[in-house]
Amino acid sequence: MDSKRKPPMSTGPSAKRARNDFEDDPSTFEEELALLEKVEAEMSQASSVGSQQSTPPGSRGGSIPASSKLAPYWNPKWIRPSLPPPDPSKDAIVFQQIDLEHYIGSPIRGMPGSTVGPVPIIRMFGITMEGQSVMCHIHGFTPYFYVPAPENFRPEHCRHFKDALNHMVINDMRSNKDNISQAVLAVELVTKESIYGYHGPNGMRPFLKITVAYPKLIAPSKRLLESGFAVPNLYPVRGYQTFESNIDFEIRFMVDTDVLGCNWMEIPADQYRLRSSSSIPAPVSQCQIELDVAYDRFVSHPADGEWQKVAPFRILSFDIECAGRRGVFPEANKDSVIQISNMVIRQGERDPFIRNVFTLNTCAPIVGSQVLSFSNEADMLKAWSEFVNVVDPDILTGYNIVNFDIPYLINRAAALKVSTFPLLARIKDSRSVIKESTFQSKQMGKRENKVINIEGRVQFDLLQILQRDYKLRSYRLNAVSYHFLQEQKEDVQHSIITDLQNGNDQTRRRLAVYCLKDAMLPLRLLDKLMCIINYMEMARVTGVPLPYLLTRGQQIKVVSQLLRKAKEQDLVMPAHKVEAGEDYTGGYVIDPTRGYYKIPIATLDFSSLYPSIMQAHNLCYTSLLSPSQREKMSADEFIKTPSGNYFVKSSIRKGILPEILGDLLSARKRAKADLKKETDPLRKKVLDGRQLALKISANSVYGFTGAQVGKLPCLEISQSVTAFGRQMIETTRQLVQDNYTIEKGYKHNAEVIYGDTDSVMVKFGVDTVAESMELGKEAAQMISDTFPHPIKLEFEKVYYPYLLINKKRYAGLFYSRPDTYDKMDCKGIETVRRDNCPLVANMINSCLQKILIGRDPEGAVDHAKQTISDLLCNRIDISQLVITKELTKTGEEYAGKQAHVELAARMRKRDPGSAPALGDRVPYVIIAGVKGAAAFEKSEDPIYVLENNIPIDTRYYLDNQLKMPLLRIFEPVIGEHKAQAVLFKGEHTLTKTKVTSKIGGLMAFAKKRSTCIGCKTPLDKDNSAVCKHCKNIETEIYQKEVIHLNALEEKFGRLWTQCQRCQGSLHEDILCTSRDCPIFYMRKKVQKDLADQDAIIKRFGVPVW
Amino acid sequence: MFEAKMLQSSVLKKIIESLKDLFADANFDCSSSGITLQDMDSSHVALCYLKLRSDEEGFEDYRCDRNITLGVNLGLMSKILKCAGNDDVVTLRAEDEPNILTFIFDSKNSERVSKYDIKLMEIDSELLGIPDTDYSCVVKMPSHEFQRICSNLSQLGDSVTIDCHKEGVDFKVAGEQGSGAIKLKQTTSVDKEEDQVTVQLNEPVTQSFALKFLCAFTKATSLSDTVNLSLTQDTPVVVEYPIAQHGYLRFYLAPKIEEEN
Repeated sequence: MDSKRKPPMSTGPSAKRARNDFEDDPSTFEEELALLEKVEAEMSQASSVGSQQSTPPGSRGGSIPASSKLAPYWNPKWIRPSLPPPDPSKDAIVFQQIDLEHYIGSPIRGMPGSTVGPVPIIRMFGITMEGQSVMCHIHGFTPYFYVPAPENFRPEHCRHFKDALNHMVINDMRSNKDNISQAVLAVELVTKESIYGYHGPNGMRPFLKITVAYPKLIAPSKRLLESGFAVPNLYPVRGYQTFESNIDFEIRFMVDTDVLGCNWMEIPADQYRLRSSSSIPAPVSQCQIELDVAYDRFVSHPADGEWQKVAPFRILSFDIECAGRRGVFPEANKDSVIQISNMVIRQGERDPFIRNVFTLNTCAPIVGSQVLSFSNEADMLKAWSEFVNVVDPDILTGYNIVNFDIPYLINRAAALKVSTFPLLARIKDSRSVIKESTFQSKQMGKRENKVINIEGRVQFDLLQILQRDYKLRSYRLNAVSYHFLQEQKEDVQHSIITDLQNGNDQTRRRLAVYCLKDAMLPLRLLDKLMCIINYMEMARVTGVPLPYLLTRGQQIKVVSQLLRKAKEQDLVMPAHKVEAGEDYTGGYVIDPTRGYYKIPIATLDFSSLYPSIMQAHNLCYTSLLSPSQREKMSADEFIKTPSGNYFVKSSIRKGILPEILGDLLSARKRAKADLKKETDPLRKKVLDGRQLALKISANSVYGFTGAQVGKLPCLEISQSVTAFGRQMIETTRQLVQDNYTIEKGYKHNAEVIYGDTDSVMVKFGVDTVAESMELGKEAAQMISDTFPHPIKLEFEKVYYPYLLINKKRYAGLFYSRPDTYDKMDCKGIETVRRDNCPLVANMINSCLQKILIGRDPEGAVDHAKQTISDLLCNRIDISQLVITKELTKTGEEYAGKQAHVELAARMRKRDPGSAPALGDRVPYVIIAGVKGAAAFEKSEDPIYVLENNIPIDTRYYLDNQLKMPLLRIFEPVIGEHKAQAVLFKGEHTLTKTKVTSKIGGLMAFAKKRSTCIGCKTPLDKDNSAVCKHCKNIETEIYQKEVIHLNALEEKFGRLWTQCQRCQGSLHEDILCTSRDCPIFYMRKKVQKDLADQDAIIKRFGVPVW
Repeated sequence: MFEAKMLQSSVLKKIIESLKDLFADANFDCSSSGITLQDMDSSHVALCYLKLRSDEEGFEDYRCDRNITLGVNLGLMSKILKCAGNDDVVTLRAEDEPNILTFIFDSKNSERVSKYDIKLMEIDSELLGIPDTDYSCVVKMPSHEFQRICSNLSQLGDSVTIDCHKEGVDFKVAGEQGSGAIKLKQTTSVDKEEDQVTVQLNEPVTQSFALKFLCAFTKATSLSDTVNLSLTQDTPVVVEYPIAQHGYLRFYLAPKIEEEN
């Protein structure tokens, strides 16, 4: 009977233990910091006496008053390199722009555009290759839009039209503060064509281009024109449809001047005016070079060749710590900011060159980091604000800075009346203020965000990027850094932070190291995930400013590309009114023939399916045929799509969407080709980011035409695209099954076992990967030939073996070469889902590995059985059982009761402070409760469970978590009915451990009776170890228990060291209570087990000999 | 070697029937003095204690060479026992280091002998008991009366307040939709002893309990004509069903402490 019970020491997934080898070097964060300092010292020695400016220079951007509290800590590294000012007559200014926006200012003499009244001016921020900051005022660009000209409009009518409209717009203004007399600057007659629909060979129509004084006047002009407008004596009242009246001014500017996001700008010598302290107007920014230029006098370089380079942007990552009160989340008007850590890195370099921490009260020195101590919080905040201006970062980053750190600092400074604090922007007198905004998209759901204006510095919040681009179980920095960097960090509770702050300079130092790490991790993550490069490339490809990618949705990117293309062909875009329409069907799915395939399955994919359909069939706004147009055309000039819409052929008119797609896809091909040749790692990153951005952009064009609340939806296009897709999948299936038959000389009849949207899985019946690949390639070629260019069916991979569970659920070993597999590929299986406990994902993953890689279904079954047995015997680590769900609404708002909501409510009762707040992900486990109780009554906080030794509801985990996923993967392998019996009824389910809780109604009264350690029978008298039958083997039993004790002690020691390593100090107590960390739960559990085991050993009595 | 021959399989059937809902898996501890079973429900609110003494007449034969523990899934055991006729003699048998437990059913006239084996479980749990104490109040009443009270009152609320005083005992329930009360007076005058209600009172007790559990306990009603309720303020109640010729089955239930608010 003993053999059934496996030694409990072998618990826990070993994969979770990142580094607990004693051999490898302890690479703690502090040592990392110290190392950086050493490297720097060597570098500066090597480059000899590189005359460093050691005094605060008077030049702009780097000056602080001597009275400043920051002055004693002055560090020459902070300021940007200073170069002699450029000579406008000889030097061109070349810089990479990073952000641009418009402001309303007064006209400057010598610049184009209106000479009176307020005018819109674009300001553009950027960095030169030498690292100098640049700001350009770009003058003379004015906003405009189009309306179709009324019939029989003659050029001389323009003036009347303009005057009439101007009159109406001025009258419409509530107050005319600036005393504008010219709201409408010009009306010109131009020839354009609407982008929407095919209008025959001579589609060009007369349009009026209406130019207004500044962007805010577009909306009233548009409204007045649409609702009804008359030109006295010429045209009676009628409504005008407007075109391109819903385009952001910045986008308008960028499209018209060919400026892309983050591209390189060149302002030739003699074409600009430099601002200096003596010039009028004087500089308004902190930038080293500030200049005025006309909108038609600069060169915008497309991101090709040399101009793909990236300037050395300064990225400031920072993190703040607040002294919270017990049980309350910090509030800016009450709780002080006690530390601010900063890391500044130059884009392209490996390590931050500025590392410091601002502390309130003293702090012991930290090697590798400067410590700036302040006795007064207001002084600290003021100094930090000055520091930001001196360092002059182009990009601000950190973790949740937009929704927490920056607003907290601004609010705290306001509470302390530090009036100069909000001067964080590059514009000298601009104060940063916080606004609330809600952002909603299909991809992201609804999110509430804060918007803070810091002109010239891009806020690149890592949390927002991760939430956009990655689906994770937890977005806590700790979990994220573990996920991407396999690096843990301590998670210190708010209340402990206050204790550390109130300690001595050593405890504050400890906090400072913790805080520094929180500033360092976002930089490491940005680098690892290549966020900056990828986002920059996306901005270049789609032509929108960098910050738009974080604050706006997908559509603006397509609009920008569409406008650029439309401009070339004199096409204009109607301003679409948002209205909801009917839905259309999506991709096509061939019913799967489920099973476990032990022979190779070839996969044929349509590469870039939707884009290539649009290209092949010339689906576009400009080629859409209305029924009336169709009647005028001959049948060979247009096509009918499977969804019943009509489009003209490309020979009549080539659509611009296909053109955009063609450009994007060929650019991607080029980028991929360059990528293969490139050897420099940084340039490789850029190219890879570029090809990825191009791919995403190509795919988003289809989505744009289907977005019903979008700028320009066109259901005819999107439904035709999906209809073609469905038809093509069906055709592919037919062709494969008709051609690859025994009759036609093949060894087997091929069978399509599954197909989804853009791929089909084919069982050719052959036994080797090589043969399957051969046939796959042949079939792909044969079928591609039957479709119009550029639709291409590609043979991509072979799955061998292949486990097809259901629609969108399958797993297989992925072969792209015949000899070795690349990876295990799982789709739609619990390994990736977030709404179950990690045990499920880990177990399914290892079972699949055994089935697919090991080809050992028996082993997989054994593994599953072992895990089930471990679960019943309470040997599963609790971190494996934690389920997390996001608390999105309060209890009343949910229709049904849900486990995590109920738990949050119960935790609030126990301790309002540590209870989860709205928007948090709540971790919970299901505990054994009263029989028949619903799951939501049995949810409990994992830490509470650990502390009170509450039994887990193993039945729930077995039935509700493990059962279905396990049956799904095992049924195709070992048979439908057998799987259930083998996995859930076998001998392995006969051994159980019942945990005795510390809480529960009877526990206060119950008394534990001793049982024999050897055979578990009740003992007559307490305090003895074994029963009389086991007495003769007592020494043996004692030995076994001592071995167990030793094992537990060793495990505890290892876990403790692991945590000490993680916190970076081997001689301090461990404070971490990270709920995301598996080690934390293990450490707690083993601590408890150890105490119990110790009690058992004591029962044998004091050893005497 | 362990072997116990019980004259009436129906007794064992009834015991297991009354336990299997609250206690899924349990250890039978067998020793020369008899069989005991002690287990706590999963929410740690109720506990059962079964004692079948080897020296009582219910066992025709009893032998237990060394103390052994038999872990059994009570649901499975109940299914096995359903295969026995009510008047069958049942024999339980296990080896000294057992993996299986054998059931042998002999029909009365010995025409039919059936044998079933079930695999034993290894249940690792702490052995918890409630120490015997002197109770402030012991109520003895007909078991079917108690069952009726529990089932009637459970229509209205979740918990019952048991109030023991000199005159007798009151059962009260109050729920969202109404309330109910049942008073029982001491009835020494009744002829049949099993129909009597007696209250031995040292001190009055008023205490609330979850009806859900009490109702579950009353599944044991058919084991015995009478039931004893032993109460002391702020301690668990004991609901004891004597089993003729065998011993007794006791349930302990933690008192309900009113939530503070």
